[in-house]
Amino acid sequence: MTALAIRKGGRAFGRALPTLALAALCLLGLSLMARGAIVPAKAWAAQILLERAFEQSLAQHRPVKPWPWADTAPVARIAVPRLGVSAIVLSGGSGQAMAFGPTLMPTRPPVSIMAAHRDTHFAFLKDVRPGDMIEVQPITGETARYRVAGARIVRWDRFAYPADPARPLLALTTCYPFGATEHGPLRYVVWAERE
Amino acid sequence: MPVLFPHRSRSRLLLGLSLLLGVVALIFLTDRLTASEPAVDPDEIGSGTLMLRGKGLATAMPAMRLGTDMEVTVTGQTARVRVTQAFRNTGDQWMEATYLYPLPEDGAVDSLRMVVGQRIIIGHIKRREEARAIYEKAREEGRKAGLVESERPNMFRNSVANVGPGETVLIAIEYQAPVRQLGGEFALRLPLVVGPRYTPAQTPVEEAQAVDAPLAHPALGKDLNPVSITVHLAPGFEPANLISPYHRIAVEQESGQGRIIRLADGDVPADRDFELRWRSASADPTIGLFRQQVGGEAYLMASITPPAGERKRQAPPREMVFVIDNSGSMGGGSMEAAKQSLLYALGTLRPQDRFNIIRFDDTMTRLFDDSVPATAEQVALARRFTEGLEANGGTEMLPALESALIDSRPDDNRSVRQIVFLTDGDISNEKEMTAAIAAKAGRSRIFMVGIGSAPNQYLMRRMAEAGRGTFTNVGTGKEVAAKMTALLDRLAAPAVRDLEVTVEGATLDMTPRKLPDLYAGEPLVLLGKGKALSGKLTVTGTIGDKRWSRTVDLGDAQDSPSVAKLWASRRIADVEAARWAGETEDAAADEAIARLGLAYGIVTSQTSLVAIDETPDRPEGTPLQREELPLLLPAGWDFDVLFHGQEARAGQGGDMQPAEQAEAMDLPETATGYMGPLSRGAALLLVGLAGLALRRRKARA
Repeated sequence: MTALAIRKGGRAFGRALPTLALAALCLLGLSLMARGAIVPAKAWAAQILLERAFEQSLAQHRPVKPWPWADTAPVARIAVPRLGVSAIVLSGGSGQAMAFGPTLMPTRPPVSIMAAHRDTHFAFLKDVRPGDMIEVQPITGETARYRVAGARIVRWDRFAYPADPARPLLALTTCYPFGATEHGPLRYVVWAERE
Repeated sequence: MPVLFPHRSRSRLLLGLSLLLGVVALIFLTDRLTASEPAVDPDEIGSGTLMLRGKGLATAMPAMRLGTDMEVTVTGQTARVRVTQAFRNTGDQWMEATYLYPLPEDGAVDSLRMVVGQRIIIGHIKRREEARAIYEKAREEGRKAGLVESERPNMFRNSVANVGPGETVLIAIEYQAPVRQLGGEFALRLPLVVGPRYTPAQTPVEEAQAVDAPLAHPALGKDLNPVSITVHLAPGFEPANLISPYHRIAVEQESGQGRIIRLADGDVPADRDFELRWRSASADPTIGLFRQQVGGEAYLMASITPPAGERKRQAPPREMVFVIDNSGSMGGGSMEAAKQSLLYALGTLRPQDRFNIIRFDDTMTRLFDDSVPATAEQVALARRFTEGLEANGGTEMLPALESALIDSRPDDNRSVRQIVFLTDGDISNEKEMTAAIAAKAGRSRIFMVGIGSAPNQYLMRRMAEAGRGTFTNVGTGKEVAAKMTALLDRLAAPAVRDLEVTVEGATLDMTPRKLPDLYAGEPLVLLGKGKALSGKLTVTGTIGDKRWSRTVDLGDAQDSPSVAKLWASRRIADVEAARWAGETEDAAADEAIARLGLAYGIVTSQTSLVAIDETPDRPEGTPLQREELPLLLPAGWDFDVLFHGQEARAGQGGDMQPAEQAEAMDLPETATGYMGPLSRGAALLLVGLAGLALRRRKARA
């Protein structure tokens, strides 16, 4: 009698277990996807807010925070007309700011270096060709035009920039290779020279 | 039955669960695999740009100017070379200068003299660390000091400290080296430039720095480090067919059989090796016996050339594996020469031969999985493959070597397996290369073709020696046919195998201990040490399937002042070979080398020559500038390929080379990697949904 009940209960449990496991799998998958999807969503949404802040900064000639608690502010807009892409560049090369847009690294003028993620804001770097124009519009002044000279692949810890170039230089850097999903030691650096 | 789960349902449950786990694991695993595949290779791309790490490029003229004079005296089969480097300080600071320069890989440096004004200061041999300490102490005290160190058996570094403004200091070193003999032709090679070495990423930094020097930018012109060369040739016979393939020469007759050879153009830039070749005007000599008596010991050098053998004999079928280097350092003339050499070799394959091609830079490609018969179609395919090669990237030679050493029929005694390497050998992990050969060569024989104007002779020699083959150099495109014909003829002709040497009536400590195979026209060069030189020396071997032997009387040896030092230098090479083959411990080998170096007064990896002026020169408190003299790029090297290889790959690049005067900066982590979790999540969701759908359909049924 009791044996039968246990057996019945066991069978029901045995039937429900795989369903439960499969449902858990679905949930796990969904949460993973959500964790992944939030990154480009944040990057995209932030640029809209930043665009507004950039316009205000232009008008007021001083950096305006895109949202009250932000620890970064727009400093310039870069655009590659041939590819039809543009992005608002943020001050301070911290990983935090990089989630929202390209950031300006601390360098010595006349060299400017901007870094952004290869799978969000700087995904377009793989399509940039020598001869392309890059326009940089700072919040304080006139648009500067840079012509792309070439690209290099370097290790993150083996990078150096000329201290005294003949013309102002702009470097856009991101991780390399573009397709990889793991973090690696290589960086892709596009060099451009002021027109 | 009082059980929790019935047997059938339990096993089904387990099966289902484990299947599910398997699928999940597979998703994560494949995701990782596809992710790591591109991530492994680029790590090596990056290292290709680091050929000049730490030292970089010199775009300004150094304050210290250098001129080099080489005076060579060839007596019999040895060459004594005096290299005088004049360091002239054109600046207004007190200077210290270092200069990295090459010497023949079998040369033994035994003398250092420093000339300051009218005074000559003689150098002494000391243990390396001790010599360095003495030099540094003198440098701090403001005294003039000269130091000769060996970074590799064929790469030396001279340092000279406290050269005053406007002052010139001469550093004269002397070395001797055996003259190479091949097919009746004698050759003297004076390396004049060190090619920039590709250092694999995993090499320790100190080791890489040791073989590195800044490179002169082509804009500086070729006036840097000019070299003048004079050769006094006294081979002991009437020399004929004097050839210098890379430099124009002027020949002058000295008394009787002697000749004086000078460079026709006076000083030349140090950007290519100097080579001089000659033959005997009469019959080719087949025996050379030289001896030296020093400190109660007798030394012998014997050079014995076996007969060339019957040329008509059909060569046995061969398996030939060609390994071609298409790394960035081969850019320019070298790549062309290598491709032409390989195409030439492909043309000599017979249908009964089998072959394969492996190309490498920092990646490698095996043309065929295993060697294939040399049919017309396969050869045509190989030709197209060869013609399409372009120089780019770093030089990771070890994987290519290991791949070439894979022998699919190790027990096949009827055919011969030959590996032909075409490379400039500009790598700095020579040790790993020879160790791999020692461990895995088996029946394969390794032949090195040194390409370009300054191939790494030491690597060529050691790899050929370890692989029991020979090495040759192809300098320019014009030489390809002549040199490759000679090499391939030698490979085709039956070799002398199973060589043995016996000495009657005397005990001699002979080197090399492991006797090589000999190819047509090649002499066996033996060096020995013993109490007395008397009795007979017999060499036996197998030519084809016949026994051959030759006996010489040791009493006939001529006196030569350099045999003892050549013996010591050869013995050091033996110690190194044993170390690389893993037969001796590092410490024991170092100690043995240090003792040989001290006993025979020669510069080795463990001993250096140091010369110190007794009186301080530099006024106290005056600062000392240090300068590392830049090297010229070897002729034929393509500066742009070497420095802009990465731009070339990523698109036509500009000249944004961050050269000297650069600011180093760490680049931030710039990948969110959101695609990873996104795709993994999607895959999991898919599996879960599919499973649920399957179960529902089952439940309905």
